[in-house]
Amino acid sequence: MEYMNKTIEELHELLKSGKVTSKELINESLERSHEIQEKCNAFVTIMDDAKETNVTDNLLSGIPYGIKDNYSTKGILSTGSSNTLKDYIPFFNATAIENLDKSGAVPVNKTVMDEFGMGGTGTTGHTGIVRNPWDLSRMCAGSSAGSACAVAAGVYPYATGSDTGDSIRKPAAYCGIVGYKPTYGMISRYGLFAFASSLDHCGVLTRSVKDAAIVVDNMKGIDKNDMTTWDSSNMHLYDSIDGKVTGKKLCYIKELCDINMYPNASNELKEHLSNFNKALDKCKSLGMEVCEVSIDKTLLNALASVYVVISCAEATSNMSNLTGFIFGPRGEGNNYIDMMKDYRTRGFSPLIKRRFIIGSYVLQAQNKDRYFHNAQRVRRLLVDEWNKLFEEFDAVILPVGSGPAKHLDGSLDILDSNTTALEEHLQVGNFGGFPSITIPDGFVDNLPVALNITGKCYDDINVLNIAYALEEAMDYKNKIAKEVK
Amino acid sequence: MAKFTRDMVIDYADKLLIGLTDEEVQMVLDEFEVIDKNIDLINEIPNISDVTPMTHCLDNFEFELREDVVEESTDIDDLLQNCDSTLDREVKVPKVVEDNGIHE
Repeated sequence: MEYMNKTIEELHELLKSGKVTSKELINESLERSHEIQEKCNAFVTIMDDAKETNVTDNLLSGIPYGIKDNYSTKGILSTGSSNTLKDYIPFFNATAIENLDKSGAVPVNKTVMDEFGMGGTGTTGHTGIVRNPWDLSRMCAGSSAGSACAVAAGVYPYATGSDTGDSIRKPAAYCGIVGYKPTYGMISRYGLFAFASSLDHCGVLTRSVKDAAIVVDNMKGIDKNDMTTWDSSNMHLYDSIDGKVTGKKLCYIKELCDINMYPNASNELKEHLSNFNKALDKCKSLGMEVCEVSIDKTLLNALASVYVVISCAEATSNMSNLTGFIFGPRGEGNNYIDMMKDYRTRGFSPLIKRRFIIGSYVLQAQNKDRYFHNAQRVRRLLVDEWNKLFEEFDAVILPVGSGPAKHLDGSLDILDSNTTALEEHLQVGNFGGFPSITIPDGFVDNLPVALNITGKCYDDINVLNIAYALEEAMDYKNKIAKEVK
Repeated sequence: MAKFTRDMVIDYADKLLIGLTDEEVQMVLDEFEVIDKNIDLINEIPNISDVTPMTHCLDNFEFELREDVVEESTDIDDLLQNCDSTLDREVKVPKVVEDNGIHE
């Protein structure tokens, strides 16, 4: 009997009725972790000594889960998938992990990510690339690559993720699962390795919308250690999901979704957008109104650069504490400067180095207005556009990316002039702190593709409810990845 | 606007205490060229300079001063457990002030 392919609700029932024990679930999850590690390289650490917990009324009690390696975990290696922290063992838990601990959840592994979250391919972690469990020659996307891979492969029902640009929601799409980032500040970032603080969100990867709601209910909460958190104690996400969506209004953006916008569209893109249109029909059949809207293309085309400029600038500052003196492997040299330079040169991957230099350049006094402040200005214009949509609509619904998971051999994670707004639009969710969820909406070439639903700040329940109703109307939830190629 | 040159990339890398290979320098320049083109487009947005830069997701943060209550500090042994070189209860580093030969 296999259990790790089941939902949290199902596992809870089985545990409560004594049909399975927490220990048995942990053993299955660990065994599956080792199998997936062989195939996909999804983990930095597998906790073979994970201990069972008491089964209580909490839905997460006794159930195994995974933790992205940029969450601080007390006494457990936490590397952020970087050589600069390859031996770092925190003496405290991130608040979100502490909250899950209190729920009785059992962590069984730490998952591989793009180094410090600064990548979208799952190929820049210090332990090597993460492979997509549907097709080992393809990427999982990133940065929460290992978490997405493991949940899709049925290692456990959920894993934590973090999302600065689309790092939960894109890997979820490529792996055929659900990725949910709640409103900024709902989950404390204390103990999450900072990348770009004004954009960083904690969240979760699951195989169903209800599971995502259950997990975030248990991660969230105001925290005196993160002054950007707010009190959400009156929001009960899981209990509020009722699937009633009749009369809800959705919109999609013509400039992103109309196939005529892509004169050289690949077959994958055509099928992806056709799938998306079928999902829109489902929305209509559920009694929702779906409208097409337009957004200025200049703003949409600027999206990716706005993200790079802001995130690199913030990252340069956040990561200046990586010296190799107080933590991290000490560099070699005759003086402290040479030692730091040795540590940072050898420790950071080329991608990170590149981003730090761009971040430093855009923050120089003579460049700041042209690059950094202009990026922040366009951030406001984009967020204002989305907020205007939210005055009329309950949520924006859009396809994720331009098709299924990309091949690893063409995966150089460099921003180039071919990058389309379609690939990058989820970043608006980080610019505005909007609640945003990706759910699978079909298959292209036997590989999963997905759509995203994003709503206004603090309207998480509405977003989850729409996602849940649509998920129920389609046939793609709770899928376990099967190698198709 | 001065162009972002190879020498500038190396200079910034040096200030950040990061060494770059020739290939890595070229990658920075290639990526920056794309960003620069997009920033040119942004500059064409009418009245862009009148927009207030957005620095945070939420504009309604409420900040409260907490009571000034003494809390337990982190144990020094915990703080030092990830440090590769310590002396007693302190981080050990090489001498920072060089001996310049002047003695009074």
